[in-house]
Amino acid sequence: MPDISLIATLALMVIKVLVITMILFMLPLPLTYVERKVAGHIQVRLGPWRVGPHGLLQPFADMIKLILKEDIVPDKADKFLFKLAPFMAMIPAFAVYAAIPFGDKWTIPFLDRQVSLYITDMNVGILYVLAISGLGVYGLIFGGWSSNSKYALIGGLRSSAQMISYEIAVSFSAIGVVLLSKSLSLVEIVKHQGGTILHWNFFYLPVGPVWFFIFLIGATAEINRVPFDLPEDEGTLGAGFHTEYSGMRFAFFMLSEYVAMVTVSVMSVVLFFGGWNAPFNIPFVPPILWFIGKVILFIYFFMWLRFTLPRYRYDQLMTIGWKILIPVSLVNLIITGLMKI
Amino acid sequence: MNGKKGGVNIFELIKKVVFTDFVKGLMVTLGYNATKSITLKYPDQEKWIPYRRFRGLHTLNRDEKGRELCVACELCSKACPTQCITVIPMEDDTGRGISDRVARVWKVDLVRCLFCGYCEDACPTRALRLGRDYELACTDSSCNLKQREELLVPQAVPESFEGGVVASSTFIVTPAGIRIKADLAKTKRRNW
Repeated sequence: MPDISLIATLALMVIKVLVITMILFMLPLPLTYVERKVAGHIQVRLGPWRVGPHGLLQPFADMIKLILKEDIVPDKADKFLFKLAPFMAMIPAFAVYAAIPFGDKWTIPFLDRQVSLYITDMNVGILYVLAISGLGVYGLIFGGWSSNSKYALIGGLRSSAQMISYEIAVSFSAIGVVLLSKSLSLVEIVKHQGGTILHWNFFYLPVGPVWFFIFLIGATAEINRVPFDLPEDEGTLGAGFHTEYSGMRFAFFMLSEYVAMVTVSVMSVVLFFGGWNAPFNIPFVPPILWFIGKVILFIYFFMWLRFTLPRYRYDQLMTIGWKILIPVSLVNLIITGLMKI
Repeated sequence: MNGKKGGVNIFELIKKVVFTDFVKGLMVTLGYNATKSITLKYPDQEKWIPYRRFRGLHTLNRDEKGRELCVACELCSKACPTQCITVIPMEDDTGRGISDRVARVWKVDLVRCLFCGYCEDACPTRALRLGRDYELACTDSSCNLKQREELLVPQAVPESFEGGVVASSTFIVTPAGIRIKADLAKTKRRNW
């Protein structure tokens, strides 16, 4: 006879996993809409307008189109890897959310039961997130390699080169955060930033902002967004690593990319902007709303960036990674260590 | 880059470190993000009514008494650089035209026409004008050839209307085709 509380805990865990997965699956619908609207308004256009009021049903039209499209596998492609690649890109993007804290413990009204707004509180959460999100690049490399297309191959090659130049800087910035917060657990990192806005890691002057910008630049490169979207450089590579993909397989790549963008926004908020902590002491605003608000600001920032900056050249990207970010992060690490003695 | 050879321009370095150029660019796009869109909501809600100088679909005019102004002099077809206008005159004393010479056939091939306006310059009676209809697309080649009877029907935008405005419009879908009806009473100017 199993314990009733054990079953309840298990059920709660399953429900949390399902809810987060469903939210992540649904996320590209609003995000594509918002991205196209932001693009439209920055270019003094309207963006989607015809399908539904203010074009609100456009993502559903896109989804139907993607589902109904023929799923083409090139004749000379490596069939197994080709079919595996979208999942290799997607699964790590989703798996990251196992460790991300959205909020603190929360009591369900009337039931008097505490629910934590995260799936697990790993004691090495930050390492887990870095490791798993680093795996996502295999999807890109596999897709590029197996397509048997020169554009896809160059795109995959670029994504791997980009990954190794930026993963180091991102990891260094994570070390910086660990030094500042004295913990590897993401929940502990957020809790350490509690209190006023000045406790946020970003405002730990002078090293906080530097860590943040290193993290931001490296993370932008890792999620392949402008100005570092070289793997899918539509100007020179067709569509880069997913040139040969169509239909739902292409949609999975899109999905993983959007989820990765949300991951980076969430990680910026968790590591540098205090997670669910309120910047000012305003009553009646639940912490989860602060969290979501900050994440939305970051998502807008990434879209804003995309429609502002041109793309970096391949060698410039390498130069920034190896010759600027890594030395700067090493120097910053020494300063942080000295400040924390 | 304008500093001493081999030396580092401190000012440039500081500008790079605090991302001055990035911030400038981001501010420009943010400014545009906040401005109003210049998109014309054509054909659902708005339609551009061109100025009078616009050269659209040909129109054949009548005088106040309803007689055709065209005297079938064939000057328009002579002036036409692409020979897209065909005029076949005939004699008529029933008072259809302003003289006893009227056009039996007056047709223009819109595929060949380049809307240069030489025909309206050549017309001695101001019978032929290039009007302001510009929605000339169709799904088969039947609408390429415009006959006299069709062109004698007055166009939606009268000559007296000044134009250069955006009129509110309705998009009408019928089995016969699609049509955009502009309401000339409800117009507004736009400053691009």
